Amino acid sequence: MRDIHTTVLAAAMTVLPALAAADTDDGDSLIGADWDTIVAQARGGEVNFFLWGGSDDINRYVTEYVGGILADDYDITLNRVGLNDTAEAVNIVLGEAEAGIDDAGSVDMIWINGENFRTMKQADLAWCGYVDTLPNGALIDWDNPSIANDFGLPVDGCEVPWSTAQFAFATNTALVEDPPRSIAELIDWVADNPGQFTYPAPPDFNGAVFVRHVFYHAAGGPDRLLGDFDQATFDAVAAETWDILNAMEPDLWREGATYPQSLSAMEQLFANQEVALTFNYEPASVGVNIENGTFPPTARGYALTDGTIANTNYTVIPYNSPNKAAALVLQNVLLSVEAQIEKADPAVWGARPGIDFGRADAAAQAAFAAVGRHPDVVPVAELSANALPELQADWIAAIEQGWLDNVGN
Amino acid sequence: MRVALLLAPALSVIVVLFGGGMAVAVSRSVGWMPVIGLTDPSLAAYAVVFADPDFWASFALSLHIALTSTALAAVLAVASALLLRHSFAGRGIVAFLFQLNLTVPHLVGAIGILYLFSQSGAFARLAYQAGAIAVPGDFPALVFDPYAIGIIAQYVWKEAPFIGLIVLANLQSVGEDWEGVARSLGAGPWQRLRHVVLPMIGPGLVSACAIVFAFAFGAYEIPALLGASHPPAMPVAAYRAFTDVDLAQRPRAMAMSVVIAVVAGVAIWAYLRAARRA
Repeated sequence: MRDIHTTVLAAAMTVLPALAAADTDDGDSLIGADWDTIVAQARGGEVNFFLWGGSDDINRYVTEYVGGILADDYDITLNRVGLNDTAEAVNIVLGEAEAGIDDAGSVDMIWINGENFRTMKQADLAWCGYVDTLPNGALIDWDNPSIANDFGLPVDGCEVPWSTAQFAFATNTALVEDPPRSIAELIDWVADNPGQFTYPAPPDFNGAVFVRHVFYHAAGGPDRLLGDFDQATFDAVAAETWDILNAMEPDLWREGATYPQSLSAMEQLFANQEVALTFNYEPASVGVNIENGTFPPTARGYALTDGTIANTNYTVIPYNSPNKAAALVLQNVLLSVEAQIEKADPAVWGARPGIDFGRADAAAQAAFAAVGRHPDVVPVAELSANALPELQADWIAAIEQGWLDNVGN
Repeated sequence: MRVALLLAPALSVIVVLFGGGMAVAVSRSVGWMPVIGLTDPSLAAYAVVFADPDFWASFALSLHIALTSTALAAVLAVASALLLRHSFAGRGIVAFLFQLNLTVPHLVGAIGILYLFSQSGAFARLAYQAGAIAVPGDFPALVFDPYAIGIIAQYVWKEAPFIGLIVLANLQSVGEDWEGVARSLGAGPWQRLRHVVLPMIGPGLVSACAIVFAFAFGAYEIPALLGASHPPAMPVAAYRAFTDVDLAQRPRAMAMSVVIAVVAGVAIWAYLRAARRA
């Protein structure tokens, strides 16, 4: 069976165009190497960057801005591979590992966090230990627990931060003047405004985050949910969470008979005024959606008084990437103050930095401070005043499965 | 020997890529996945899948989608083919329009269905302008609905011309002489359709329907775009299990995929039987 599998993949590999430039699958020889040597090895090569492709602005930033720097300064070709679900890229690496392709994988980098990172670590698919080799690695604040831990799982040098994000709601102020500003208010608001609210069905990333907010609400805050998974606590809180969500269901869009299956589907409903509220783990998206005409100009983001969940997202290099030198160069570019400032520009993406600007020089700090904010995006200070931590992946998986079994059935 | 050589490229693609993929799916469905420590083959994944009521809900939904789409498309196709075989003014344009759908990808058709039939789609907006509805929720749910109306509409729209073309080709090769004979012997229009036309186009019709059925049962993208969140159609359910972050779910995903392949295989067997009789 194994032989057949290998044959299939081998056959598939031979029809792919031969890879150019130096083969840098041997990560050990790169760790601690001189940066100029790594850049020289990467020159003329290519790097396959797999990331969620559901946002035109993010795609443009990666392909044109980051890809432009790689092409102009390093002669590296950046291939952006758009995904609907990050698990797809993890599956590719997993399939290659199973077929024994340990040094010629097709994935050189994945935008990742949370459960997918856990999967990569669980199956030993991540390349680790190179972070200090990156010149811009010095800008990362590993003393910050929300950077050093990815959804409660220690990063252990197996990925580097790219951006931070915090969940925020948005409403159309032309239709809703005073939107609900806490989960408790939202529950009452949905009962008073039937059909005006829904959320993407977990395991959609954003839908699952919304369910966790209700879970925190049912638990009276996240404090007793932090740390390792605890079945007794979970059972008690989950029962109340499913009661709340099932009681809410008849007053949801379509009487809760169906749920949107992705955030983009829900944003379409919001844009078409089928629902009055939307939300996004990337708070800047409301500004981007207004600017590109998807959302009406009267849309506005807002924070919750009882707080919203914040996280860090990362990029990981699979252990079997044959272009590790080019992947390191890409990662170093992503971490650079220039690329992080460009990414923070609300007209580009509006994502908050994954690096600590306090570690950058004064000019970079001034440039970052000068980055504006879209007037309809909730101010960072207002959001981060009430930031809630993410739970460990075991909790998250249990909540998602519990929702599917108890609410979404 | 020469035939075997000429067929070798096509056969090797089918055997190596398709057969190899199937072999991997079967091996994983029985829990053989050494990279995550599954090395003890068993039918446990099938037992879990068959004991899960959600699986049977998905199975029933996919069966409903495939059977209903195929039946509606077949009726429309035969009716259209019977009309199109005669010559009439503008027949060329009508035949062209009839076949136009064949060139439109399924995904594009699905987006079209979404834009037309969703509760904030083009028809809902017309209904709002006409004063028939006040808010989007008043418009009947035709996509993401429990009866899979949107999915079936998409398949009928796309597959009726496919079946129709095959039936039309059959009809034209058979000619109208047999019906002329039947008419001269006093057969009415229904008798001619029932006893002359249908038996002659039957094998072609059945084989086209078998292909459409197997496709509609196993295709992922249309139910993923137009389906309700629960229950998911079989391919959507299998894909969800496949992308589950818990690696132990992979055997379950593969077991569902193998079930889809078996159902499609039965349809193809029916197709081969029908083709042999033709």
